[in-house]
Amino acid sequence: MLPNGEHSVKVVSLVSIGRHPQSGRSRRAEQDGRAVELGLKLAGDNLTVVHAGDSQEPVLRQYAGMGLNALTVLSQEADGDALPLMYDFLSQSDANVLLMGIRAESGESSGMLPYLLAEKLGWPLLSRVADIVHINQREAEVLLALPRGQRRSVTVSLPFVATIDNAAIEARQTAFGPGLRAKINLIENQKITDDTATAWQISPAKPRPKRMKVVKAKNAADRFKAATAKPAGGGGKIMKNETPAEKAQAIFDLLLEEKVIR
Amino acid sequence: MSELSSNLIRRDPRAEWIARNRLHPLHDSIMAASGAEVRGPSGLIRKNPHIVGFIGPNGIKRIDRANTTSGIGNKKRSSVIQEVVLPLHQVVNPEGYIFVVPDMVGGRLTTHDKDVLGLAHKLIKEQSDTQNMAVVAVCFGESKETQFELAGVDRLIHLSGSQFDGFTPEARLTALQQINNQYQPKHWLFPDSINGGTDLASRLAARLGERAAAQAWQVSAIQTVCRGASGSVDIVRETPKILMLLEECGDAIDETRHEVLPLSVDDMGLLEKIDTRLIDKGLMAVDPNEVPLAEAEFILSAGNGIHNWDQFHECAKELGATEGASRVAVDDGFMPRARQVGASGTWVTARVYLAVGISGAIQHMQGIGQCEKIVAINTDAGCDMIKRADLAIVEDSEEVLAELIRLVKQHNLFKEQEEKDDAA
Amino acid sequence: MILDWLLPTLIAVLLVLAGIGAVRRANLWRAGQAEKVDVIAGLMAMPKRYLHDLHHVVERDKYMSRTHVATGGGFVLAMALVVLVHLFGIESKILAWMLLGALTMMFCGALFVFKRRINPPSRLSKGPWMRLPKNLLVFSITFFVLTLPAAGVLPESFTLGAMGNWILTIVLSVLVLLSLSEMLFGMTWGGPMKHAFAGALHLAFHRRPERFGGGRSTGLKAVELASDSNSMTFGKIHGVAKPSDFKWNQLLGFDACVQCGRCEAVCPAFAAGQPLNPKKLIQDMVVGFAGGTDEKYAGSPYPNKEVGKAKGGVDQIITEGLISSETLWSCTTCRACVEECPMMIEHVDAIVDMRRFLTLEKGETPNKGAQVLENIIATDNPNGHSPASRTHWAADQNLKVMKDVKQVDVLFWVSDGAFDMRSQRILRSFVKLLKAANVDVAILGDEELDSGDVARRLGDDATFQSLAKRNLAVLSQYQFNKIVTTDPHAFHCLKNEYGGFGSDALKGVDVLHHTTFLNQLIKEGRLELDAFASNGGKVTYHDPCYLGRYNGEYEAPRELLASLGIKIAEMERSGYRSRCCGGGGGAPITDIPGERRIADMRMEDVTSTGADMVAVGCQQCTAMLEGVVEPRPVIRDIAEILAGQIREPKEGERV
Repeated sequence: MLPNGEHSVKVVSLVSIGRHPQSGRSRRAEQDGRAVELGLKLAGDNLTVVHAGDSQEPVLRQYAGMGLNALTVLSQEADGDALPLMYDFLSQSDANVLLMGIRAESGESSGMLPYLLAEKLGWPLLSRVADIVHINQREAEVLLALPRGQRRSVTVSLPFVATIDNAAIEARQTAFGPGLRAKINLIENQKITDDTATAWQISPAKPRPKRMKVVKAKNAADRFKAATAKPAGGGGKIMKNETPAEKAQAIFDLLLEEKVIR
Repeated sequence: MSELSSNLIRRDPRAEWIARNRLHPLHDSIMAASGAEVRGPSGLIRKNPHIVGFIGPNGIKRIDRANTTSGIGNKKRSSVIQEVVLPLHQVVNPEGYIFVVPDMVGGRLTTHDKDVLGLAHKLIKEQSDTQNMAVVAVCFGESKETQFELAGVDRLIHLSGSQFDGFTPEARLTALQQINNQYQPKHWLFPDSINGGTDLASRLAARLGERAAAQAWQVSAIQTVCRGASGSVDIVRETPKILMLLEECGDAIDETRHEVLPLSVDDMGLLEKIDTRLIDKGLMAVDPNEVPLAEAEFILSAGNGIHNWDQFHECAKELGATEGASRVAVDDGFMPRARQVGASGTWVTARVYLAVGISGAIQHMQGIGQCEKIVAINTDAGCDMIKRADLAIVEDSEEVLAELIRLVKQHNLFKEQEEKDDAA
Repeated sequence: MILDWLLPTLIAVLLVLAGIGAVRRANLWRAGQAEKVDVIAGLMAMPKRYLHDLHHVVERDKYMSRTHVATGGGFVLAMALVVLVHLFGIESKILAWMLLGALTMMFCGALFVFKRRINPPSRLSKGPWMRLPKNLLVFSITFFVLTLPAAGVLPESFTLGAMGNWILTIVLSVLVLLSLSEMLFGMTWGGPMKHAFAGALHLAFHRRPERFGGGRSTGLKAVELASDSNSMTFGKIHGVAKPSDFKWNQLLGFDACVQCGRCEAVCPAFAAGQPLNPKKLIQDMVVGFAGGTDEKYAGSPYPNKEVGKAKGGVDQIITEGLISSETLWSCTTCRACVEECPMMIEHVDAIVDMRRFLTLEKGETPNKGAQVLENIIATDNPNGHSPASRTHWAADQNLKVMKDVKQVDVLFWVSDGAFDMRSQRILRSFVKLLKAANVDVAILGDEELDSGDVARRLGDDATFQSLAKRNLAVLSQYQFNKIVTTDPHAFHCLKNEYGGFGSDALKGVDVLHHTTFLNQLIKEGRLELDAFASNGGKVTYHDPCYLGRYNGEYEAPRELLASLGIKIAEMERSGYRSRCCGGGGGAPITDIPGERRIADMRMEDVTSTGADMVAVGCQQCTAMLEGVVEPRPVIRDIAEILAGQIREPKEGERV
């Protein structure tokens, strides 16, 4: 797979602190974990894993527990702007592949960081990467994840930025021992706050109302129907005595209606 | 006006008089001929309470106001309504623009795209300085859309050329940058979707140095509410220039027609410089079974009641469904462990879950709790899966699956034919 | 006569060789990690441990226990007397006659050993073990003949002529050499008799001395976790990677194995065709610390695995060549092997020790293991449910929460069954019973966390310890007299594994399983139940491993069922021999494929009693048994059965 027989590409994976969807607790972010996994596959020991934030964060040990010897932390306050730190770090390193998640699981999660880094570094960017099937010093063959499990094959020249889709190879289990032993290289930085974001109001997410089937009724009967009819589907239709063909037709109609067959 | 005149209602006083007089000898024949449509003196449709309804099974007259068992008469009426022509929304010499870049999946506007277009119009209405603004759609590549005018597109920039075909984010970005320079739009709206909207929006925001809002779902001219921290918080902020909008962010246009006038882009020469750093090698065929079970949107799941496994696999293939299985089917070795659905297997979130021969152990029902539509095929009418299902079929699975395979094959054949015609 | 000097010389040489072997063997054990043992007290207690505790286990097979007493006792006595009579040449007719008696006893025992080896059951190892009864017979006969003159039965000058004497001398010398080699040399150089030598020391230096004298010690020992701030532990490997990572007395314990195969006969994973055989595992451990291969192993293999390919050394990683990790993950930690082992070897400890290395150091928990552990870490429950939904099941139960009341008589430990709809039925039934008995009860609500059982069995002791400490911190804020739980796994953790974390939250608190507690209520007359109308159907009872073998509670569930007038149709394997449902030790999570499912086998045990209902006392067992394809008997937790029989106060009785 690797033409030079050794891991000669220098890969950097950026990791952030994830958020468990159920408990809201810090965790290894789903996509970032995959970015580390893919980085390990491509570069082995040549992988550098970088985090901008607090070096004491216990979740970093979960990333390290994937078998990393060391982890680089660009020290930063919670309200800091990661972009300048990351840019400084990357422009001084000889990395030629940068992997990261699509959107962070905490904070603004706008997903802009990879784009801003790529723009500043002048590197091409691929979003939603499912796999990097082949890489050498000059270029890489990349599979992009498309909806419904589709894939697109793209060739990209090095250096490049890639954001990792949930379709990429799953992050390996994190082990306690190695995680504890990994070295954390701390790079102290000047504090750069994200001024725009400090003006925002942040509150727990309000549930979004599900759109009702909008009926712009033209007459009383339609209004009556819209107000009283069960929600679409209605549930609990049982077909017992019809012929198999009719039953199959009913299923087929439902599948068409739900647009799962096109 | 001449075409409108045919829709004018012409009154026939004599017929109306006969219709009102139930004792008139011609009453029944007139009523039958008019298709049960009677106009009152004001021209409003009147219902004849005496011929409404039907005789129920117990001999009592029943009136079905919800029209759930609508008959033939109903269909006739709808065919008349179809030809309603919506008023045209015109924008003359717009003073500003809001640009929308729809995903155009398969060359057609998605519902998500239409929501975004609807929101664009809402934003124009809220503008304080001028409301004489136009909504511009920027489309790349081949378009099969014929209903731009009904979706709220005032102006259209259609960039089709080989440099925009397939995966060409850099070329598209350059074009958007060019358009931005030329028209200085008020907003750029993108669907926040995995179909390319998010990617292109982020690229544009990075290029223009704008702080875009992602996952926005409540947008007014002044402030925007967007989701953050994996959907767990709402961020309230000033509405920025570039917005990535979630589904149902606005209501699609449905009461006006729009002009869809072409808008030109200067200096397309810039686009000739194609970025050679990214080269699209095309789509790859992917087996639906490669899709992780937890993310699959359509699952065909097998249980103890399946005896013809070849048929089951064929059915899944034809339907393009991801295969799932109950614990028993996995334990019996018919399906791999990774396919197991349920509390002890995978918790699935499919939109449609088609359970074949699964009686529905409690652990299984827990695992499919988040599915939207459940279809069950089972011989046991009393089992839990049948009780839970939105559509329940009490039948031997083999026969139903055979019929289903036949239907899908027929459907696919028909579609292929249609695509060939499209191409021709 | 030549024998006069040859015999003592032979005995002396072989005794010296045995001594050398013993030192060498002891050095092999000393490659293990240090573990504090009270040497003197252990050695003093050893005979009693043999006669009482070990014999108690052997006694389950009467044939074998008598045979072993005759053979083993006869040999030990005979050997001591041989040394006195033949080595030191003490001329005493009494000693000689005693020796003759001992040899006769040994001969009789050896005859039965021999008889059993004519057509041995498959669980017994063959190979060198097949020659052992012959050598036992040879030893007893030879020394009988040699002792006859000393006893005065044969005249000292008995001769068969010069030629005859020579032949007799040569034959006897060869026989003496042969039998003593087996009995003395083989004892310390790895022959079948090794079990006597290592076994005796194993009993003396056992890692769980509490097990002797009727005690019970089933809680796993905690791993000392390294920490990045403590340079003493930094860089320490967790769990057992190499044989030398075991404690020295664990290695000694492995050496004590007699390869009787009783563990193999009761192991549910072995019966299900999963690649685990406890006997082979222990023998592989011996191969590991002694070095070499398993070529000489002559018992049943791991199902579907070839013997002879395994290689090991004291400092080689066990899972790289000696045993496959699948073997370790097949275990349900049901403890049937430990319960059955006459040498009191601790198989489960060893397996979990090795799992710890795989999970904590390698990150190789198979199948859903990684996901489950990640869920436990992020949500404190194995299925990743929202921690805030832990009390949703009790929304309509009107239960007090500890946070509000602070003090209560009985704390109901709900366990993770709170998230599972089937288990919730058990919980509700139990609450109904508590209310009927007017028990002052409260739950911890969302403050309760997973007990850590699954994490610990999967080898993730770091997560277990974190959960244990946090649970104890919560418990220490409140006052209660009893903790009751419907989950035997949580019960076991709370009762046996939450010690040693420097918390006295559970000091003086009775930790009870719900069956025990309900039984108390009924005996106190606080709960009145109607008789159970079984309509002619039979009811059987399945002993959960973590209630029975782990905690010795066999009676309370049976008494409860009896109090309803139910006569239990006992399964052949019940009580301490109960077969696991397959749900313990994280086995459903690691899901190692076998030829059959353990739960199906257990259900066959149930159906063979003709029962149409099986009573259980564990939500995990309920889930596993209900997973068996219908038609099958119904499965009910004892709480569910009882809750259906609560006596409603009659009209007139209402106060």
